[in-house]
Amino acid sequence: MPTMKRKTHLQNPYTGYFFILPQFLFFAVFILYPVFEGFRISLYKTTAVSNTFVGLENYQILFADPVFLRSVFNTLFLVVVVTACTLFFGMMISVAIFDKKSGYISVIRSFYYLPVIVSTVVMSMVWKFLLNPANGLVSYALKQSGYPGGNVLGDKNLVLWIVAFVTVVASLGQAVIMYVAAMEGVSGEVLEAAEVDGATKFQRTIHILIPLVKPTTLYLAVTNVISILKLFVIIQLLTDGGPNNSSMTMMYYLYRNAFIYDKKNIAAAIGVLMFLLAVLMATPQFKAMSGSTGKRLPRKKNGKGGTTK
Amino acid sequence: MKNLLPKHKAKRMEPFDLVLNVVVLLGAILNLFPFYWLITGSLKTSAGIFKMPPEWFPSTFHYQNYIDLFVGQPALRWALNSILVAVVTTVLVVGCSALAAYAFAKLEFKGKSFLFALFIATLMIPKEIFIVPLFQIILKFNLSNSYLGMILPNVATAFGVFLLKGFFEGVPDSIRESGRLDGASELTVFLKLVLPIVKPGVGALFILNFVNVWNDYLWQMLISRSKEMMTLMVGTASLMQEINPNFAYKMAGATVAALPMLCIFIVFQRYFTKGITLGAVKE
Repeated sequence: MPTMKRKTHLQNPYTGYFFILPQFLFFAVFILYPVFEGFRISLYKTTAVSNTFVGLENYQILFADPVFLRSVFNTLFLVVVVTACTLFFGMMISVAIFDKKSGYISVIRSFYYLPVIVSTVVMSMVWKFLLNPANGLVSYALKQSGYPGGNVLGDKNLVLWIVAFVTVVASLGQAVIMYVAAMEGVSGEVLEAAEVDGATKFQRTIHILIPLVKPTTLYLAVTNVISILKLFVIIQLLTDGGPNNSSMTMMYYLYRNAFIYDKKNIAAAIGVLMFLLAVLMATPQFKAMSGSTGKRLPRKKNGKGGTTK
Repeated sequence: MKNLLPKHKAKRMEPFDLVLNVVVLLGAILNLFPFYWLITGSLKTSAGIFKMPPEWFPSTFHYQNYIDLFVGQPALRWALNSILVAVVTTVLVVGCSALAAYAFAKLEFKGKSFLFALFIATLMIPKEIFIVPLFQIILKFNLSNSYLGMILPNVATAFGVFLLKGFFEGVPDSIRESGRLDGASELTVFLKLVLPIVKPGVGALFILNFVNVWNDYLWQMLISRSKEMMTLMVGTASLMQEINPNFAYKMAGATVAALPMLCIFIVFQRYFTKGITLGAVKE
């Protein structure tokens, strides 16, 4: 309703466009155009001398390619496992610390945030050192405890779990920061009232905290899904997609096709499929985030219709 | 206020709470360990690192790895490249995002809701997915192996618009209106009156974006064709792919890559927490 008052008499109708123009130019060139161009390339077969329209052939090739199917499975596996673990442990850590002294909160939070801050490149290198079969500490410990060879990264049944573990460690920090902030925002009175009524901390967590921080959970779920979809560094530096493609992901297969096998059209088709996947998985959050604007706007439009012209 | 009452009573912790905190504390310490191992490892000799059972603390500090890194590799150049790319990208992102966010929050124009929805929709699409056409654009503009090639695509991010819009909405309309009535142009109002009020938002965006670009890897790796153009992350990762069996030297590289951000984090911790939280849904 206050939107109806702040109105056009103070403004040239084109000023708004002038303000968004710089950002929009970057958008048009580096996001909108690549999206459309990506769709187009995926329908062609390009060689050094020719560029032929082949319809959906690239997609047919992909769906008949066992490595690609493997990469889809692996990507979905990581999306589910990493997101679930990040949310669960993020929630657990935050429940433990959010009602403690602020010094304690910020120390614990920083420790969990450390892997995020030093970048996935460094994190991947650190774990590569720890898991190195020749001299890694974890490998050494595994050998001592009887795991033959101690080379977990070379074990095709384990490698994806290792990738998931490293990814969770590298993304927990963000979840903790968000959850703690959300929980600090939960009214102390509600929690105290529940406590006076004899609810244990576990009950308070289940019945009050978890429902009240649901928007945060939703936000984290989607941002995690998106960042796992584009997961690249950890795969390249830790496993290189191996052994024998058992940790190949869609993003890494896209990269391989584009820049190693020189199959740009196939790579573009993988990109389109990932785009569809991203849209599918992000829609709920997109609705929630644009919801506040979307709900207000029709009303504003009605108001405008009555006053202008 | 909310925590004041229970704290003074010095209650006993419930068993569930106690167990949870012990686990969380142990986890936190385990998080530190890999970094301890990295830093001490970087100070060992090549032979020392292969010692089994492992040496928990290096018997002598061996700085040679760091000397090799800065003399044998253009590591300093990598760091400067990283700083340049991160600073320029972030300044452009903050500038463009602030202008656009102001328009979306305070100005009226046709198609506003559609354009904003378009911006926000791109939040859900990682750029990396369209890396093939993106790279072709760079080749077309002849920006391969250049700073601009690393910088420009990363300016196209909707996160800043999304983050700052909330801040601009918090500024009372009367401020803008009084400025306009005094005859100031929209741009002057924006720069002189409104922007100073949303400084905390700008600060948070600056830091978050700086960290994102600093830690970016895939795009910078694709653009940098020569060793001199690599950023710190790309250069460090390239050490991993070398056949050099000296692990301690590679660990020194990873330590150097980790340190700058670590220092920034320690100094600006408050802004990190704030920025990350502000980016999310508030309702």
